[in-house]
Amino acid sequence: MKVIEARGVKKSFGSFHALQGVDLTVNAGECVGLLGPNGAGKSTFIGVVYGVTDRTEGTITTFGHDPRSSSREIKRRLGVVPQESALDEALTVVENMRLFGRFVTLPQAQVDKRIDELLVYMSLDHKKDAPIRTLSGGMKRRLAFVRALLAEPELLILDEPTTGLDPAVRHLLWQKVTDLKKKGKTILITTHYMHEAEVLCDRIVILNQGKIIDEGSPRNLIERHAPGYVAIYDSSHPSVSQLRERAPAHWAIYPQQSNLCIRAPTLSELVELQKSEATEPLLLRPSNLEDVYLKLTGEELTQND
Amino acid sequence: MTETLRLSWHVVVRNWTVYKKDFFANISPTLADPSLIMVSLGLGLGSLIQDINGRTYLEFMAPGLVATTALFTSFFESSYGFYVRMTYESIFKAMLTTPVGASEVVIGEYMWNFIKGSLMAFGVTLVLCAFRLVPHYWVLPVATLLGGLISIPCAALGLLASSYIHNINQFQTVYSFLIAPMYFLSGVFFPIEPMPELFRWAIQISPFAHGVRLMQLLFWGELTLQTVLWHGGMLVAFGIALSYWSNIRIRKKLIA
Repeated sequence: MKVIEARGVKKSFGSFHALQGVDLTVNAGECVGLLGPNGAGKSTFIGVVYGVTDRTEGTITTFGHDPRSSSREIKRRLGVVPQESALDEALTVVENMRLFGRFVTLPQAQVDKRIDELLVYMSLDHKKDAPIRTLSGGMKRRLAFVRALLAEPELLILDEPTTGLDPAVRHLLWQKVTDLKKKGKTILITTHYMHEAEVLCDRIVILNQGKIIDEGSPRNLIERHAPGYVAIYDSSHPSVSQLRERAPAHWAIYPQQSNLCIRAPTLSELVELQKSEATEPLLLRPSNLEDVYLKLTGEELTQND
Repeated sequence: MTETLRLSWHVVVRNWTVYKKDFFANISPTLADPSLIMVSLGLGLGSLIQDINGRTYLEFMAPGLVATTALFTSFFESSYGFYVRMTYESIFKAMLTTPVGASEVVIGEYMWNFIKGSLMAFGVTLVLCAFRLVPHYWVLPVATLLGGLISIPCAALGLLASSYIHNINQFQTVYSFLIAPMYFLSGVFFPIEPMPELFRWAIQISPFAHGVRLMQLLFWGELTLQTVLWHGGMLVAFGIALSYWSNIRIRKKLIA
């Protein structure tokens, strides 16, 4: 079953074209990651999905409804963790959640039970009566998850859910998202963290300047765009220029800050090159989604540039 | 429709839940300010003023203060209050992920302003009772209701301002050039009848002036069918027109 089906979705804000014809289908039970640089159109697309952003052109249905005319029906079935946690700072944890229980039209008796369960689930039960302003960033984020899950949504939309969080909280949230995936929830997630996308998503959609530039499973994208292994060298090292010259033309060679990255199809070829120049790389690793991302969004510069 | 009203009501509950957290800080200026004006202008300055149509200055000014409370309560709630909720606290961003839509937010804000304006008018009228300035017991409920009615166009001005300004400091300009003139020129502090004809006509475009007039006639026991229809009609017409306009503007702010 198709949960989201977008065809040729465009959105302009004045002369800025945030979305320039997006075709995207999200199936039930799938976890789809939207990746792209700031301003690529990720959050705009999410807004279009549940009707807080009105598309300029194209068609889209969520749960079979057009968000322009039936956003209420759609919003009954989804939960959103927005980029800003947007909690009522003056109220306590439980007051915030009870108010939200009203908005998602849960009966009061049921809502208290559900809040208790979810606070335990997100390890926030000890903060039940704490005012929001006393919570850390990580706690607020977890509470935003509690809020999104209150009405047991079928579709969960996570807009940069772990930005700015410490690794412990990030891992906790990843575990919860994996849990929810297993329970059959459909998940649409935007993120800047390639590792996050690789860990969580069945399918990744890379957006740049309002257009989808590629999509596929993490493995598939890596194999197609950046297969192999990457060695990272300190650019200031004297033998780096020789490395550059010795590397075959079809390898990817690109600078990254003060480092030089060399990607080869196999590990043995990289090791070979290394031996010939007797230079140790700072890091030698299998290629990952970050390499794909940098290549596709044009932030990777090749030898010819 | 019932679903819309129910969801709008939750917006009221949200505002009330936050408001009551700091109840005394929130309510004290509303009651303290009119009391202060009663003493300084009513008793102080009033002692130098001759009777106005057989009324003491205090008696003349009192009803206008009830209307003023509704004006300030609703304007500040829907300007600074609403703007902070929308821009700094992102309250609506979270709300709009639920079945609540932009219309429910706007309707809810109007309901809240109506209730708050009514309650504040009730509170000030009670204070006036202590000054023995409320002639009949039934003035209290009617003044309460009228306070709510005055709040609607005034809240609309606040919401419109919220939709047009680019930063929160610009509310000061709206206050100085729109709200303050309405407050000072709508007949709260001086009778309009002796003023030049041009002024008397110009002041009819102030919804607040109609509210003040109705409140005065109510307190003075001089309401007639004709005055109720004219001033009440104008108040309601302004309320409908301005809230309609503000609804279009705020929707555009909430739904990009």
